[in-house]
Amino acid sequence: MPEVADAQRVAVGALDDLPLKEFRYISVGRVEIGVIRLPDGSVHAVRNVCPHKGAPVCRGDVSGTMVPSAPGELSYGLEDTVLRCPWHGFEFSLQSGEELFTGHGLRLARYAVTVDDDGVVYVDARRPIRPAGD
Amino acid sequence: MEIIDTDVHPIVRDGLRSVIPYMSEAWRKRLETKGVLTIPSNHLPLRYEHPSGHVIRVDAQPPGGGVGGSDPAFMVEHLIEGSGLSAVVMNSLQAAQFAAAVAGPEESVALCSAFNDFFIAEWLPVDPRLRLAITVPTQDPAAAAAEVRRLGGVDGVCAVAMPLINIRMGARYYHPIYEAAVEMGLPVFMHVSGADYVYQGAPQPAGGLPESYAERYVTMPQIGAANLTSLIFSGTLERFPTLKFLFAEFGFTWVVPQMWRMDDAWRALRLETPWLKRAPSEYLHRQVKFSTQAVEAPPDMSSLYRLIEDDLGDDLLTFSTDYPHWDNDLPHNTLPRLSKEAKARVFGGNAIELFGRERLGLAAAPLVNA
Repeated sequence: MPEVADAQRVAVGALDDLPLKEFRYISVGRVEIGVIRLPDGSVHAVRNVCPHKGAPVCRGDVSGTMVPSAPGELSYGLEDTVLRCPWHGFEFSLQSGEELFTGHGLRLARYAVTVDDDGVVYVDARRPIRPAGD
Repeated sequence: MEIIDTDVHPIVRDGLRSVIPYMSEAWRKRLETKGVLTIPSNHLPLRYEHPSGHVIRVDAQPPGGGVGGSDPAFMVEHLIEGSGLSAVVMNSLQAAQFAAAVAGPEESVALCSAFNDFFIAEWLPVDPRLRLAITVPTQDPAAAAAEVRRLGGVDGVCAVAMPLINIRMGARYYHPIYEAAVEMGLPVFMHVSGADYVYQGAPQPAGGLPESYAERYVTMPQIGAANLTSLIFSGTLERFPTLKFLFAEFGFTWVVPQMWRMDDAWRALRLETPWLKRAPSEYLHRQVKFSTQAVEAPPDMSSLYRLIEDDLGDDLLTFSTDYPHWDNDLPHNTLPRLSKEAKARVFGGNAIELFGRERLGLAAAPLVNA
């Protein structure tokens, strides 16, 4: 995986080369960041550490989930936007980083992603995005 | 600090195909003809399947392939070296399910011996920090006792894993097994087998069947509570005063109100169980310990620390990971705020007291003032 000593804009690769729903990893110092392209065209970069107990969260499944529903009913939604930690199964929105539906409010560390005119994906690895309202 | 992991699950990579070489030709033939070699060693019904499809950590998968926990060399690298462990106590849930209910009595005798011989031959030599709780066929107590005597002296064997059937542990049924364990100086290792709440013959849940993995997961400690109460009030701990038990993966927070309730009941009802010469909680502290995983997380963790230090007693806990399962705990993220002295006890000292340094493959204790 590409390693850079300088935490800055890190080139991940061509957008078209990023497989769908599969994390690619970059390392910046001791920080490992997973970069993933979703079917809706968005690209997200999250630190590969679960805020719960430190699991390699990006090893988890990316899918939808069962959204809150009436007893006895299942309602599948949020297709291809949910990352489920491979340890305790905590579910995080890849779009906002937030833990979903439990009210606990843990949050993935997310990094800003840009795609330049040449179609190269860059991650700003200097610091995680500050969540709105913080 | 010596860290002992008192609950690790080695997975047999090719299921029964891996262990049949350790069986007689007749027993191989029996299993082959029944057509069971290709059945995965996980016999859960649909209702109890984990909703994510993963009971084992996907990130524990060995580089050479196979499911997490199925490669001893990778377990050494990933778990033992990765977490700085001094010893791990392995116990096979695959063997346990057969012994508890999935296999018949004779089949489970043959299978337990085969699984035990397999782990002794193919896992223990990989690293001295791998230790084994041998699985005994609970459906046949005499055969189980014989297995304890057969393998109890093998270097690397540190406990007797006795998969639970639907007879409480205080029953006289178990005395041959307890006698053998005492004779060989081994503690009895208790753990759910996976057959619990699924099969007739395995422990059944109070109130009726759970309807989901989540419900069953929450309810499992009942088995520990019921059997602990049985061990004490039946007088088993009085009858076998040197026999020790580890209740692995049953949780431990419930032990506190259970102890209070048992002590109150004993005081008021002592004439019914006059063989209890001391309070239930005294027997408990003398002969029983509980592994820590999965540590519950109250909204304010201070409550848990107070419970451990003030009500439970940090002498009762032995650290465990439950590697490679999804809800494993690791040393760095388990009870970090325990005092230094309590940590030394919980992460190593209590397990060393329970199993013994030699059984855990540890060098003699360093001299204090060397």
